[in-house]
Amino acid sequence: MNWTLALPEILLAVSGLVILLACVIPKQDTSYGGSMAVIGSLLGAAVLVMMQDEGTAFSGQYIADPFGRFMKLLCLAGAAATLLLAIDFNEREKLARFEFPLLALFATTGMMVMISANDLMAVYIGLELLSLPLYVIAAFNRDSGRSAEAGLKYFVLGALASGLLLYGTTLVYGFAGSTNFDKLAEAFGPGQSVSAGVVVGLVFVIAGMAFKASAVPFHMWTPDVYEGAPTPVTAFFAAAPKVAAIALLVRVLTGPFADLSDQWQQVLLLISAASMLLGSFAAIGQRNIKRLMAYSSIGHVGYALMGLAVDTDVGVRGVLVYMAIYLVMNIGTFAVLVSMRRQGKSVELIDDLAGLGKTHPGTAMWMAVFMFSMAGVPPLAGFFGKLYVFLAAMQAGYLWLALIGVGTSVIGGYYYLRIIKVMYFDSTEQPLDAATPGVGLVMAGSGLFNVLFILWPAPLIGAAQLAVAALVG
Amino acid sequence: MIAALAFYAFAFVLVASAVMVVTARNPVHSVLFLILAFFNASALFLLIGAEFLAMILVIVYVGAVAVLFLFVVMMLDIDFARLREGFQRYAPVGAVIGGILFLELVLVLAGWRFTDMAADLRLAPNPVGAVSNTAALGRVLYTDYVFLFQAAGLILLVAMIGAIVLTHRERVGTRRQVIADQVGRTGSVVLQNVAIGAGVSPGSILRPPPKDAPKAVEHHDTHGGHH
Amino acid sequence: MFVGAIFFPLLGAFISGFFGRLLGDKVAQWTTVLCMVLAAVCGVSAFMQVAMGGHPETIVLLRWMDVGGLQVNWALRYDTLSVVMVAMVTFISTLIHLYSVGYMSHDHTIPRFFAYLSLFTFMMLMLVTADNLAQLFFGWEGVGLASYLLIGYWYEKDSANKAAMKAFIVNRVGDLFFMLGLALTFLTFGSIEFPVIFAAVAQHTNDTYLGINSIELIGVLLFLGACGKSAQLGLHTWLPDAMEGPTPVSALIHAATMVTAGVFLMARMSPIMEYAPTALMIVTVVGASTALFAATIGCVQNDIKRIIAYSTCSQLGYMFFAIGVGAYQVAIFHLFTHAFFKALLFLGAGSVIHAMSDEQDIRKMGGIWTKIPVTYLVMWIGNLALAGIPLFAGYYSKDAILEAAFAAHSGVGTYAFVCGIIAAFLTAFYSWRLLFLTFHGKPRADHHTMEHVHESPAVMLVPLLLLSVGAVLTGYVFAPYFIGELEHDFWHGAIFNGAHNHIMHAMHEVPEWVALAPTVVGVAGIALAFVFYMLAPALPRALANGLRPIYLFLLNKWYFDELYDFLFVRPAMWLARVFWKVGDAKLIDGMPNGAAALAADVGRGAVRLQTGRVANYAFVMLIGVVIFVSLFLYSLFKGA
Repeated sequence: MNWTLALPEILLAVSGLVILLACVIPKQDTSYGGSMAVIGSLLGAAVLVMMQDEGTAFSGQYIADPFGRFMKLLCLAGAAATLLLAIDFNEREKLARFEFPLLALFATTGMMVMISANDLMAVYIGLELLSLPLYVIAAFNRDSGRSAEAGLKYFVLGALASGLLLYGTTLVYGFAGSTNFDKLAEAFGPGQSVSAGVVVGLVFVIAGMAFKASAVPFHMWTPDVYEGAPTPVTAFFAAAPKVAAIALLVRVLTGPFADLSDQWQQVLLLISAASMLLGSFAAIGQRNIKRLMAYSSIGHVGYALMGLAVDTDVGVRGVLVYMAIYLVMNIGTFAVLVSMRRQGKSVELIDDLAGLGKTHPGTAMWMAVFMFSMAGVPPLAGFFGKLYVFLAAMQAGYLWLALIGVGTSVIGGYYYLRIIKVMYFDSTEQPLDAATPGVGLVMAGSGLFNVLFILWPAPLIGAAQLAVAALVG
Repeated sequence: MIAALAFYAFAFVLVASAVMVVTARNPVHSVLFLILAFFNASALFLLIGAEFLAMILVIVYVGAVAVLFLFVVMMLDIDFARLREGFQRYAPVGAVIGGILFLELVLVLAGWRFTDMAADLRLAPNPVGAVSNTAALGRVLYTDYVFLFQAAGLILLVAMIGAIVLTHRERVGTRRQVIADQVGRTGSVVLQNVAIGAGVSPGSILRPPPKDAPKAVEHHDTHGGHH
Repeated sequence: MFVGAIFFPLLGAFISGFFGRLLGDKVAQWTTVLCMVLAAVCGVSAFMQVAMGGHPETIVLLRWMDVGGLQVNWALRYDTLSVVMVAMVTFISTLIHLYSVGYMSHDHTIPRFFAYLSLFTFMMLMLVTADNLAQLFFGWEGVGLASYLLIGYWYEKDSANKAAMKAFIVNRVGDLFFMLGLALTFLTFGSIEFPVIFAAVAQHTNDTYLGINSIELIGVLLFLGACGKSAQLGLHTWLPDAMEGPTPVSALIHAATMVTAGVFLMARMSPIMEYAPTALMIVTVVGASTALFAATIGCVQNDIKRIIAYSTCSQLGYMFFAIGVGAYQVAIFHLFTHAFFKALLFLGAGSVIHAMSDEQDIRKMGGIWTKIPVTYLVMWIGNLALAGIPLFAGYYSKDAILEAAFAAHSGVGTYAFVCGIIAAFLTAFYSWRLLFLTFHGKPRADHHTMEHVHESPAVMLVPLLLLSVGAVLTGYVFAPYFIGELEHDFWHGAIFNGAHNHIMHAMHEVPEWVALAPTVVGVAGIALAFVFYMLAPALPRALANGLRPIYLFLLNKWYFDELYDFLFVRPAMWLARVFWKVGDAKLIDGMPNGAAALAADVGRGAVRLQTGRVANYAFVMLIGVVIFVSLFLYSLFKGA
């Protein structure tokens, strides 16, 4: 049994246990060391992922392929960057406890299991391993009523979603006789008749996964949880788990259920269109910037799923590229949000950004870059993300979907530009505090990515191409 | 024949008590019905020859989880009547949606058919007859499914960490036994020369100097412990 | 070496731009100069290897984009055409960097200036070494951006800001056509890589787009794009205003490099242009008209830099009509020699301005030739080269252009020849007008300024002297290679001449008087200037008074700015006002805040779903599941 294939996951799990012990025993505060150790092991896992062979392991429950590699690297990078953002914030808000990075580490392990899942059981276990730490860290600021409420809501709805997923899995297992992806793919292959039970089971499975990706109509938790959770936690939520959830959707739908695409495609089309519409419309009236980001992320998931919904190679590649760009934009934006504080106290209203263009031109500039990029203004990276999925939709003949995408981008542009307007044209008596160097570094890094992407997009596109080739076969 | 009869009996009670869990007005009754449902489910497991799972269900769910629920329900003062208000309001819509879903599932499950070997499998779930049910489970868990098993273990660990993170607090004023301090303390026991024959009068026993730390009694904290 | 020539300037810009404050002014500026020197060394040796040695090369750096059928690489195309440009640009840019060290020594943000300067050079190099239209467009836009930054370098000055805006906007008009041309090229050839396009031109000669021959249309669109950058008639208005930038900028951007981008583009696209005779005719007419038009204006301007700017405009016209008659090699040769003497003239003018305490009006100069003899000398050399006096660089290239125009034996060719001859006369006239007014006669500046007239420091004079060597020798040395008997081996197919195009031979077989004419009119022009400004200084004034309408017409640059103001700017402002009054105030506010309000309403509706109650959320999820299941089953049973 070639268990060495799963070395990245094993490394994460083992280092999680070690860090847990190492941080529990000493009397003094170990949160900083804990964070650093976790970031270190995430990077270590990233190295292992890059060196990973291809193949399946553990009786076909685990698969390592270029697709997994691409998505895992995104998740690891996203998790590491958001943890980096959290260190300073948590210290300031008196939330600095080593359990936060540790739980994030276990959540990341869950993402990796999800991404590498080649069996519906592994999907479920991975999803749970991802979800449980997320419930906890959503309520991490337990002295705040909002945070506790966020955690509880997320937990209850998450449990429902897990239930749906599990129920769908049993239906699929019952009607198809296996949970293994390869066997399922055979069972649904050309010439095989598919019973309605499998199809209904698939709906439930999609519902469970779409919940994690916060796609409409399984998005309801997102705004409340984003707003209630501490900002670095929100950043974490918005980055890596989203990528993992989308990766899982891609893996499951283009893998075992590829031949059922006629069925799932319409669901995905609906989900995508609804997410784009809701994400852009509902965000308009928001005043809290974290809530705004929640709706924005719903919209972005809609765009990404557009690529999957049209069910072509180009579309799936568009999904991967979109998620990579989304991740970077989001990390950058949250770097700005994390650093939003006035006289040491965190603030999170859009109006609090007023006058940022004058008081902190650097931060304001990067924020403007992120907002423009999210709105999809060329030549920033966000434009290309959208371009690829729109092109894919049009090539596949879904002009109406692409048109919805363009329309909602325009509406979305309104609220992104509003932030820029507030930063540059509104004035304030009480300027925000300056960002710390670490946060500034994350900001500048993702900002430069957004600006310079146009010069050299080939590596990302190439990697995505490779990943898709592995997926489609 | 008897097995079939037993199955329908247990299944009926299971479904009925599940319905009662949801509809009972008194939450304590709900939990009691839940326990009944678990018992019946475990009986169903026994019928299909999975005695290990049946026992686990009784021990874990009935013994631990449900009883804990009962405690929580009885100790917390939750106004369940108020929680039901929403239920009344949305009941019609909910019924419609639930009805549609139910019909659809019935439609789907109509297409269900057992494999040819189903009956045999039910009688002898273990491929190799010599192994007991428990041993067979253990074998697959630690071989074929070791990956998922370990991952599930991680989930439990996370649950534990989560519970501690959310509820454990360092309270000020609580006193703990610190053995090292006790052993290392000096000056509290003093050897003194007392005049021979003088004796020790009552009330003149030497005691360590009183500490001025207040002995605050913290009230029991009930936050965050309700789930 | 090939890569170094391009990327050293970027490195310099990067260091100076991002770490300038850290390093200090001195280190930052000398770093960029060092980077430029390295680039120039690389550039010149690349020239030796590629052009002289005859080893063209293409270096693929990176895969750039891969969208659908569009595959584009970052690549450096080194053939004779680009290597001539690379060597010229790096060499001249290096000298200008060096010169700027002296000229900008009193500036407050030196690293910024040098960073822009190097960035500009990098973009120009990117443009000339592009292997596809997209990369060329990248450089094209980059040059536009850098020029915007440089023209508006003194952004405290309102006029500088306006000039920068004007340059940017007028350039955008050209860029628009360029983009259209690019799109049409992709549409026609299915690729924007030069090798692919050039190989396929012959097969697409009969393609049409909207009823017009595609190749012709591409040619015209690209030419209109080139017009913007190269300040040809119609889109020339930004060039004189762009003199608001520091003088080294004028020398770099508006003499030697940026404005030549259009000429370069035409030469680069020679395989396409050769199949677009109508487009070439348009090029010839526009080029010839520009040459004459700009020369007439140059005769009456009083700002020293503006005169030179108009002369640039006029010389670019020469290059364009050379291209129009099919003599691309000659055009590039003129571009090459022109770069040297025009940079020399601008830097010399800068030296004069420096000496005169930032005075630019030649009417307030005079009588300073003894005080700044070196500058005086180099200005003479520059003017001699510009006027095409034998043995100086301009003589070889300008003569060749006029011969080619004559040898074309076509209607437009003759028109170009006539315009060119008249322009040559005017060129000589305004050059010496500038020279005499600036250096000779009675000092017309105030006493204070005259006391401070001083020769520039060595760091400024060395580039001047080097450039004047170039202005003297480049013509004589390189004429055989560019346009003479060694022409075929030199170009190595970098420029394409169609089978019907024999202009390169025909131009050597024109009647004797044609070859002599430019020299004669040049000398005549000088003589006239001598009469006007040395012998009888009253004459010009009398003439200006006598022919006042013409004088004013010329002085106001043929009223082009006013015309544009009337034709475009005012209607645009009016339209904007209408939009603001009617559109914004009435439609947007009146039409229940239009779509915005509608969107906001929908938004409010969407938010209303977000009640905050977990039960509702769960309910929505379940409804979603039910809808999807129904959808599934519906399609399943419909299909069954």
